[in-house]
Amino acid sequence: MKTLIIAISIITLVAIAIIPQIHFASAQLAQTQSAKQYINLRAEVWNEFFRMTTAAFTVGAIVSGTMIWLVWRFRESNPKNKAPTKWEHLEDPTAGSYEEEGH
Amino acid sequence: MGHDTAEWVFVAIVIAVLCYVGVDSWMVQKEVEDVPADAEVIKVTGQQWFWSFEHADGTKEISTLHVKKGHAYLFEIQSRDVMHSFNIPDWVVFEDAVPGHTNHAWFAPDQVGTYPIQCREYCGLLHYNMRGSLVVEDDNST
Amino acid sequence: MVLELQKPRPVWQIMFSTHHTDVGYLYLVFGIVFLFMGGVLAMIIRTHLFFPGQGVLVSDSATFNRIFTVHGLTMLFLFALPVANGIGNILVPIMVRYKDMAYPKLNAIAFWMNPVGAALLWLGFADTSWVSYAPYSVIRAPGPAADMFIFGMKILGISSILSSINFVVTIMKCKHPDLSLRRVPLFAWSMLTVSLMTIIAMPTYAAALIMMLTDRLGLSGFFNPFAGGDPIAYLHLFWFTFHPEVYIFLLPAIGMMYEIIPRFSRKPLYSQASGVFAFVMLGIIGFASWGHHMYSTGMDFTTKVVFMIGTLAAVPASGMHVFNFLATMWGGRIRFAAPMKFAVGGIALFFSAGAGGVLNSAMPLDFISHGTYWVVGHMHLFLIGTIGFGFVAMIYYMFPYITGRMYNEKWASAHFVLMFWGTVQTFFTQHLLGLEGMPRRVYDYPTEFTSWTQLNQISTIGAWMIGASFAIFLASLIYYSAKGKYANMDDPWGLGGKYYYPVAAKNPHGGHSGY
Repeated sequence: MKTLIIAISIITLVAIAIIPQIHFASAQLAQTQSAKQYINLRAEVWNEFFRMTTAAFTVGAIVSGTMIWLVWRFRESNPKNKAPTKWEHLEDPTAGSYEEEGH
Repeated sequence: MGHDTAEWVFVAIVIAVLCYVGVDSWMVQKEVEDVPADAEVIKVTGQQWFWSFEHADGTKEISTLHVKKGHAYLFEIQSRDVMHSFNIPDWVVFEDAVPGHTNHAWFAPDQVGTYPIQCREYCGLLHYNMRGSLVVEDDNST
Repeated sequence: MVLELQKPRPVWQIMFSTHHTDVGYLYLVFGIVFLFMGGVLAMIIRTHLFFPGQGVLVSDSATFNRIFTVHGLTMLFLFALPVANGIGNILVPIMVRYKDMAYPKLNAIAFWMNPVGAALLWLGFADTSWVSYAPYSVIRAPGPAADMFIFGMKILGISSILSSINFVVTIMKCKHPDLSLRRVPLFAWSMLTVSLMTIIAMPTYAAALIMMLTDRLGLSGFFNPFAGGDPIAYLHLFWFTFHPEVYIFLLPAIGMMYEIIPRFSRKPLYSQASGVFAFVMLGIIGFASWGHHMYSTGMDFTTKVVFMIGTLAAVPASGMHVFNFLATMWGGRIRFAAPMKFAVGGIALFFSAGAGGVLNSAMPLDFISHGTYWVVGHMHLFLIGTIGFGFVAMIYYMFPYITGRMYNEKWASAHFVLMFWGTVQTFFTQHLLGLEGMPRRVYDYPTEFTSWTQLNQISTIGAWMIGASFAIFLASLIYYSAKGKYANMDDPWGLGGKYYYPVAAKNPHGGHSGY
């Protein structure tokens, strides 16, 4: 599951990184065709904006999707979550640590 | 997957996205800061609380700016009192007017119409009403 | 922990005390009072903007400008900093296992400078906007108001430097020798980071204030272009302090979430080390990005690139915090009591605000976003969405420990739903308003753009929801601290297991014994 999410996100990110480059290549080609043509400033900036929002919303969808799933899956009222976790056998479940830390 | 691997993968993805953001905005900024050589200079002066404009041929205008479609214009933005910010939202023209400095912005309108001009930096009492309009006209000379 | 309301003491005993929990309560009460005072101003602003062109509630722009200035100053310096300091005062000495703050009297002095600064800000009611850009604040800002603002900010700045010194010494020098620095809880780490940042950043602004004062008196012309100065210099000095200050507001809230999330997930923290690393990284990189507030002031391309890289560099560290929270929740058994609801809501909004922040840092997008409602929406998402949610979560979390009673979970849920929905509606809409080009800090806007009116009205309705949620909050804080059910002090939320603090802390005032 986790690997799948990561794989999908990497593919998406590579895709959104490549698509604008195609746009740029074609924009550059169009530029050279007519010399008197000024670049369209507002189109450049707004295109940049929409590329950035695409990236932001893609990452946002992944993160908030993960978050909603986490909240749904690991709420204590979820039937799958009846059994106490292994950490709850400790006197203070939060005092334990995954890490082997030197004192 | 080890304990730290997930976090490293996550950080790597974040850094990849940021590199993309950085490179992309570097390229676009480079492109939009490149002022065309034949751009006509318009002096823009902000003061509390209106804009005045001076064309290259000496014509002066207050609050309403007339430009011609298909030409590039370079704004030399100055301020006479406090900080203002010259902004034509529809044409993505935006640069502060700082007293003692001359800042630059340019655009090349390709559409006829009337567009609002406004001040986007807080400049006191009537900041909200420091508005003007940009009129883009057809170029009849060609 | 002192159970104030179970065993009340005369109020002057708390006021003249130098004990860290007492000073902490003073900070907390002070911060919450000003939260509501600033909140009333916010409601006035939003209600006013609901009706364009009609001058509802505020009929002149001079008053409106003063209102948004004082709203900003109040929320930042009289709410966010005092509440962080208050909770820090209560918890940090306990977390580093020391009897008190390192300098108790200095602690009390630092607190008592706050009411003085607050009085100057509120009685002056300046109209400079909280950033008080030169040369407006030097040559045009009216009368005693702007000078009172300068002195008020000066006093608040000194106060925050003093309390920062206190936190740094408490954590670095008074920490129990058995407790290694890397095992110090992350909330204390966040206080340590922000205290060091304050000590580095704040003097710059203090100097800028003095320069502004002498400029106003006509003795100098540092920022006055008509006396040979340069307003850009003020902007650099200001943002060198106040971009790091953004992290100074933010990190304590993140630290509070680090307290709450493992506890209600019934799990250890995913990684203490990465939390510490991310705090320190943010503390250092926070100083490398102040220029992104000034892209449009005529900055050259290379400088813009440097500051854009500096800004983007702060993102992985923030992302590590989000990752740490989510990984902590993963595999836990989460009880969504009020503190956890607010903490999780805060993470979601922190992420949204951060994503918007990445967009802000991209240089060309500055043409679209800078100085518009986009920025207002963005920074309020941080200030309410992350800092507000973190602080509210912590206040609910501390509630049983401070009052000995339990808040009502249903009302807390209502508070959460209203506040979360209201925050999303108000500030996401303001992002769109910014894209439509509406400038910030405006008293009125033309009605000819119907989308401006509509978006403003949607945003205002959201703001009323936030207002309603905080009315619920205030009422339940007051009512349930007097009439609430007694909390089970071993385990107020029935999570199982024992907590090593705050309940188990030594209590010099008697109070609750037996832990």
